[in-house]
Amino acid sequence: MAGYYEGLFILVGINIIAVLGVSILTGFTRLFSFGNAGFMAIGAYTGAILSKELNTPLVISIIGGMIMAGFIAFLLGKITLGLKGDYFLIATLGFGESIRVIIENMQSVTGGARGYSGIPMKTNIWVVIISVVIAVWIAWNLLHSKIGRNFQAIREQEMAADAIGIDSAKYKNYAFVISAMFAAWAGVLFAHYFSFIVPIMFNLVKSSEMTITVVIGGLGSLTGSIIATTILTLLPELARAAAEYRMLAYGVAVVLIVTLRPSGLMGYREFSFKKTVAWIKNVFNRKKTSSPEEEENA
Amino acid sequence: MIWQQLVNGISVGSIYALMATGYALIYSLLGFSNWAHGDIGMIGAYIGFFSLATFNLPVWLALIVAVAGAGLVSVISERLAYRRIRNNNSPTMFLMIAAMGVSITLQNFVLVTVGSKFKTYPQILPVKAISVGGIYIGMLDLISFSVSLLVILFLYFLIERTKFGLAVKAAASDMQVASLLGINVDKYIGLVFLLAGSLAGVSGVLLGMKYTVYPQLGNFALKAFIASVFGGLGSVPGAIVGALFIGIMEVFVAGYVSAGLRDLFTFTLLIAVLVIRPTGLFGKDIQDKA
Amino acid sequence: MTEPILSIQELNKNFGGVVATKDFSLDIYKNQIVGLIGPNGAGKTTIFNILTGIYQPTSGSVKFMGEDMIGLKPFQIAQSGIARTFQTIRLFKQLSALENVIIACHQDCTYNVFSAVTRLGKFKSIEKAVRDRAHELLEIVGLHDDAYRIAGDLPYGYQRRLEIARALAIHPRLLLLDEPAAGMNSEESNDLCKFVFDLHEKFDLTIFMIEHHMDVVIKLCDVVTVLNFGQTICRGTSDQVTCDPRVIEAYLGEEMK
Repeated sequence: MAGYYEGLFILVGINIIAVLGVSILTGFTRLFSFGNAGFMAIGAYTGAILSKELNTPLVISIIGGMIMAGFIAFLLGKITLGLKGDYFLIATLGFGESIRVIIENMQSVTGGARGYSGIPMKTNIWVVIISVVIAVWIAWNLLHSKIGRNFQAIREQEMAADAIGIDSAKYKNYAFVISAMFAAWAGVLFAHYFSFIVPIMFNLVKSSEMTITVVIGGLGSLTGSIIATTILTLLPELARAAAEYRMLAYGVAVVLIVTLRPSGLMGYREFSFKKTVAWIKNVFNRKKTSSPEEEENA
Repeated sequence: MIWQQLVNGISVGSIYALMATGYALIYSLLGFSNWAHGDIGMIGAYIGFFSLATFNLPVWLALIVAVAGAGLVSVISERLAYRRIRNNNSPTMFLMIAAMGVSITLQNFVLVTVGSKFKTYPQILPVKAISVGGIYIGMLDLISFSVSLLVILFLYFLIERTKFGLAVKAAASDMQVASLLGINVDKYIGLVFLLAGSLAGVSGVLLGMKYTVYPQLGNFALKAFIASVFGGLGSVPGAIVGALFIGIMEVFVAGYVSAGLRDLFTFTLLIAVLVIRPTGLFGKDIQDKA
Repeated sequence: MTEPILSIQELNKNFGGVVATKDFSLDIYKNQIVGLIGPNGAGKTTIFNILTGIYQPTSGSVKFMGEDMIGLKPFQIAQSGIARTFQTIRLFKQLSALENVIIACHQDCTYNVFSAVTRLGKFKSIEKAVRDRAHELLEIVGLHDDAYRIAGDLPYGYQRRLEIARALAIHPRLLLLDEPAAGMNSEESNDLCKFVFDLHEKFDLTIFMIEHHMDVVIKLCDVVTVLNFGQTICRGTSDQVTCDPRVIEAYLGEEMK
């Protein structure tokens, strides 16, 4: 296995890819899902089986995993996206847990509850770096186009979005499928790093952690999600000594952030050099201006 | 054999129903899923355990302390976590996230202080099972069912027949108007959390007695959530029906199909119900007004 | 005799036991400005909601430019050319005014997902064209200087204009305005009348509006329909309608003898 810091880096990268998907779904379209770990599992197992049984190159395994997850998400979305908030949430929760149970019961194919081993270790730091860069690039471009804008319209005022001709059912499904594919991508990389996967790795705790990460980073901010993922992945590792206390601190931190700073780390905004410089200038000039530079980030 | 399974199912279902009732109460009042509900019950289970095993309190006192303790923790969580979010007018999902934080905090607090070893409740009930027409009913199951039934009836009486219940229903319906009518909404919300927490506490103790006590005991509340969604969010009767149904179904699937697939059946059924009735069996259809 | 652009026939809507709309019929012709008035709770917004697909009627039909609209989803109705504003302003409050209008131009963004992600192909040119059009629309409604302000921060009157700009962005033939002058004083509603009339000319619109401000109705509307308890009680020009005893009774109660 790679060195300790390399391993951390890889873990952060994998988590970022998965969280990007949840960010698009929850932060930008306001759909709360507790089933995305299920899509990670689908990706992980599909990719792992492809690699181990058919000796496919990593890229093919990733694509295979993503297609499988995307397809299942599409079907699930058709059934459940008409449900209101909490109902949709429980449906996705049920889905995530069901996937786990199904995998556990398909011993011959997946190794069941004992896990699937012998996955070729193809995930190294370069694979992760390239993946993260591509994933962020895709997510950013998607969000700064008609598609991303439609997501946000649905988030802000679904009824008004309908009234201006946006097919909200279709776009919600897009967001759901995209988030599933990102989760699957992360899952394949995960499987090819640890070489051994077990259904319990992709449980409700993982799903809810991803949602919490997006909330902490700020709903509607990709950079917020990335920063939050990095912090939340690294912190427990760095505070290894007080292992038992870290989850306790995590729980308390979640409550504190949601009560005291609900807009999260970045609020609705993205990080930009221009804006940071402008903000610093503002602080010195004590004048409030709105700048056309904001347009470039729209 | 079927009848035996049915009885087992109702027994399990009644504990779920008790937990689902507390959860549904909070949902109907504040419109959010209290993810920490089960963990409040877990706290009750631990308090009960220590009262009996460590402090050797008499049974009746131990149980009162456990239930009161759970209620208290519930009220404190409302005060510290949820009230501020409510006052900020943040979207309801934030309450749920806060509840998740509370859940993680409670579980890990127990892990850190008490440890993860399973604790077995001291034997306070006679072990024997009574036999009714060939069907065996364990004492614990009988007590669980009776307690759940009594508590739920008490709750019904409280909500439907008292001024307190009326105030709660008013506040649930429209908080602003209720407060304009002089109802101290904060106080009533606190009382509802006390009530819900106590309900969780009772369920927690019963679960603890049935399954042993451990920090993740609160995960049983997931069944309560599902029951509530199944029966229609915000409907207490719906939650009870849903819980009984799930309890019975779990026992039958585990008995006749496979224990491993039990949860899969529950979830599939849930999705099937939601497809047919998107707001659950007795759920309110709240349509957004243009 | 030309065909009506919007033809509503015998529309009925019941909610459980409550009759919200009873036998509502109306023909609207191209370029007309038609008013729908009536006391609160008369069922005016219900009709708008049926027209835009939010509610399904219990019975009756709606034809827009000859096409059946009943059963279509709201977004399909919008895409057919019917735009609306809402009684409570439903802007995308966290986004800027410009973004609100750009989003509404989505039908002009004819690039596909691949082009959007890779930025190859028509993406850049289409985005620029859309951005320019959004600026244009904002200028037409007088919000050019506020293009980058967050929509939720705009003063109320400006928010109303922004909502209208957003509605105009979808190239509508028929514009449904739900109480556009709500919350305005007489000076502001005067401005609004001129504003709506200018748009009517400039965009060759047909307008159907719900309104309580009688001065706006009198100034703008060619034809007025009066609703009370879901039923049509009078129809005619503004002068005819305001003098009709049934209308006066509906608003003020029975005439004092």
